[in-house]
Amino acid sequence: MDLNDKIEKVLEKVQKAPRYTGGEMNTEVKGWDECSLHFGFCFPDTYEVGMSHLGMKILYGLINRESWSLCERFFMPWTDMIALMEEEKLPLLSMESRHPLNEFDVIGFTLQYEMSFSNILAMLKMGGVPLESRERGEKDPIVVAGGPCAFNPEPLAYFIDAFMIGDGEDVMTELNRVILERKEKGYSREKCLKELAKLEGVYVPSLYDVQYNEDGTVASVTPNCAEAKATVRKRVVTDLNNTYYPEEFPVPYTEVVFDRIMLEIMRGCTRGCRFCQAGMLYRPVRERSMEKLIDLAEKLQASTGYEEISLSSLSSGDYSCLPELIRELMKRMKDKRVSISLPSLRLDSVLKESLEETQQVRKTSLTFAPEAGTQRMRDVINKGVTEEDLLGKVRDAFEGGWSSIKLYFMSGLPTETTEDLDGIADLARKVIAEYFNVPKTQRAKGLRVTVSVSVFVPKSFTPFQWAAQDTLEKIIAKQEHLKQVLNIKGVTFHWHEPFVSFLEACFARGDRRMGNVLKRAFEKGCLLDGWNETFRYDLWMEAFRECGLDPAFYAHRERSKDEVLPWDHIDSGITKQFLWHEKEKSERAETTKDCRKGCNGCGLQRWKGVCSYANARSV
Amino acid sequence: MRMLAVFEKGERIRHIGHLDIQRSVQRGLRRSGLPVAYSNGFNPHILITFASALSTGACGKREIMDVTMAEDVSEEEFLTRMNQAMPPEMQLSEARAVDQKHPALMASLRAAEYDLLIREKDTADKLVGAISAMMEKDAVLATRKTKTAVRECDIKPLIYELKGEGQHIYATLVLTEKEACKPGMLIEALAKEAGIEGEIRVLITRTGLLGMDENGNLVPLETL
Repeated sequence: MDLNDKIEKVLEKVQKAPRYTGGEMNTEVKGWDECSLHFGFCFPDTYEVGMSHLGMKILYGLINRESWSLCERFFMPWTDMIALMEEEKLPLLSMESRHPLNEFDVIGFTLQYEMSFSNILAMLKMGGVPLESRERGEKDPIVVAGGPCAFNPEPLAYFIDAFMIGDGEDVMTELNRVILERKEKGYSREKCLKELAKLEGVYVPSLYDVQYNEDGTVASVTPNCAEAKATVRKRVVTDLNNTYYPEEFPVPYTEVVFDRIMLEIMRGCTRGCRFCQAGMLYRPVRERSMEKLIDLAEKLQASTGYEEISLSSLSSGDYSCLPELIRELMKRMKDKRVSISLPSLRLDSVLKESLEETQQVRKTSLTFAPEAGTQRMRDVINKGVTEEDLLGKVRDAFEGGWSSIKLYFMSGLPTETTEDLDGIADLARKVIAEYFNVPKTQRAKGLRVTVSVSVFVPKSFTPFQWAAQDTLEKIIAKQEHLKQVLNIKGVTFHWHEPFVSFLEACFARGDRRMGNVLKRAFEKGCLLDGWNETFRYDLWMEAFRECGLDPAFYAHRERSKDEVLPWDHIDSGITKQFLWHEKEKSERAETTKDCRKGCNGCGLQRWKGVCSYANARSV
Repeated sequence: MRMLAVFEKGERIRHIGHLDIQRSVQRGLRRSGLPVAYSNGFNPHILITFASALSTGACGKREIMDVTMAEDVSEEEFLTRMNQAMPPEMQLSEARAVDQKHPALMASLRAAEYDLLIREKDTADKLVGAISAMMEKDAVLATRKTKTAVRECDIKPLIYELKGEGQHIYATLVLTEKEACKPGMLIEALAKEAGIEGEIRVLITRTGLLGMDENGNLVPLETL
């Protein structure tokens, strides 16, 4: 039976076959032989998740734009597909030309969340690529990775040949050029990796040796060759207006998680919330101009036919001319029946006017993220939002005809007490009261308040990177408490699986030895860990035991100030000194002002011309 | 004015369900910039109907959409702009402008033509060989599954034409709003006749949708 017939046979049996069939609008099928460099973009989760991801759309367009390079997509198959592929001995194939993964020159994984790590190993194995960097030969692809989880690359150090740290737009092409040069000149894999290490923002883990102390902490991470830099500085694109952004997006046939135009209005955030890794990693704040955004919106609308545009950024409410932008977009999109949505709405932005305009087109539920239930706790995490702010916004929303509100919180934050948990329920009750304060004739029917409480996971490059995560017993007790106090009419309570958050914490601050655990867990059958139905906590714990490592060492241990952290050789722009200072302030429930109100000296001021709010003299 | 347009659902996307095909056509129309009419109301949608839903897993050579236009456009312009806006697997081959009063496609639908490719040669030979014996019977029984019940029915009166050639079975089967003989029912009956048990892999392609002209002849639906 030939390959295509095998594929057809499998597709006839599998659930949700359109996940695997491709052929979507705006997906390029460039001639394989006409391109000298073949890039396999791997999203280590299902099609529906991967196709919702903006970064993939950017890099897909960027690589395919070059005449010499081709980019094709790979996703993590679901378990039924994996079984069928094994049965038919089918390798992991690209969505576009159905080439196996190991025929690509470069394989790029995007690292969006730690719980996708086992899928990376699964995809490599299914694609016929040796799992570990040291096992790969001259004919094997170069395996690279980028995205937020690349900032602590150590748990994946055995499996990834080179990491791209920071913004990908510039370094992606530089990296591809090096690999193309190797292909043309035929030099060795080793030399290629050393050439890659010379690029700014590229970390090649095999060129570094790790030493450990007797207590298991890291003693040092040092380069073992001249090409490797002592610290790898993240890449930053300074001018978003002159940075590539796609004018067309692939349009899936089936519904995916985010099935709309995503317009990245800015990158970075000036708020400095202490739990938020993205807020630290994506600094500094950079805005796209209104003209550029309007132009992109019109082009994307024409090329996708989407019915909805969402403004995407960490804190869209902070965009400097948001009301004007929304007004202009609405004016131009009205006849095209395109609605505008604001996903990550900040509480304290002056948005009433904008909200009223959004409503003209379509009313969806509004999401607010107070993150914590009491003012003290919000001060600890530097979430500069007050109860009055929140309730004011909620009132505006109810008066504006919304009746569905989502509230996001975290539990397990440093210094959290029962009072802080009760504060979540108090806030929910006050939100409900605001609804009933609006006269019956003016408010929309069907009040729905959804309270989601996630488990706090301390992350690298945040002021909480030294903090201990709550133990499972504590987390479960807190969730039980929340269930009781949130048993309020009109409130739906959602909480997160604590076991997943525990494992996430291990990887988020893991060192290189976590790679052993990952490999062992994968061999035991762990994959698709981000999905409840496939997550196998028991197998993960077995893997830890067999590797002689204690997960509590990574998740529940408070680090000391002078401990060498496994990611200290990565320079995110933010200094360790600034983060420690922030940690100390958090212990005193002292807040730090928004960078827009004056430079806080996070470390970016060291890099000339990178941050427009930087002041070299500030501390 | 309404535009009746014939389009393809290609083999690669045959597993896409009808609702997703509908949405894809609507997005194609939005990309094309053609002046389509929208419904009034809170969530406006494009005024479009399809002659018949095509099953998940089946390809279609001549599926038909019926789009209400807000302004008149020529058939050529409709075709050109839509073909630029649609993915390669969903290209249009014909368009015909009709007026508002033109009868609804669904109501005029009488039958569909199918090309059924039997993937395994041995099975194909047996099925093709069973055609004439089956058609000589007074009644041909097959299972009809509805949402509420599974029952046996005689599909013989629902078969207009049936012939085999190589690994292909070509069939013209009744398809109306009220009754239909699905290709699966035909294959089931043929398998029973041929004494084949177990799963039969078939690639179903619906090659045409037919209506009836005033002389009682089956003709392509879009020409009525």
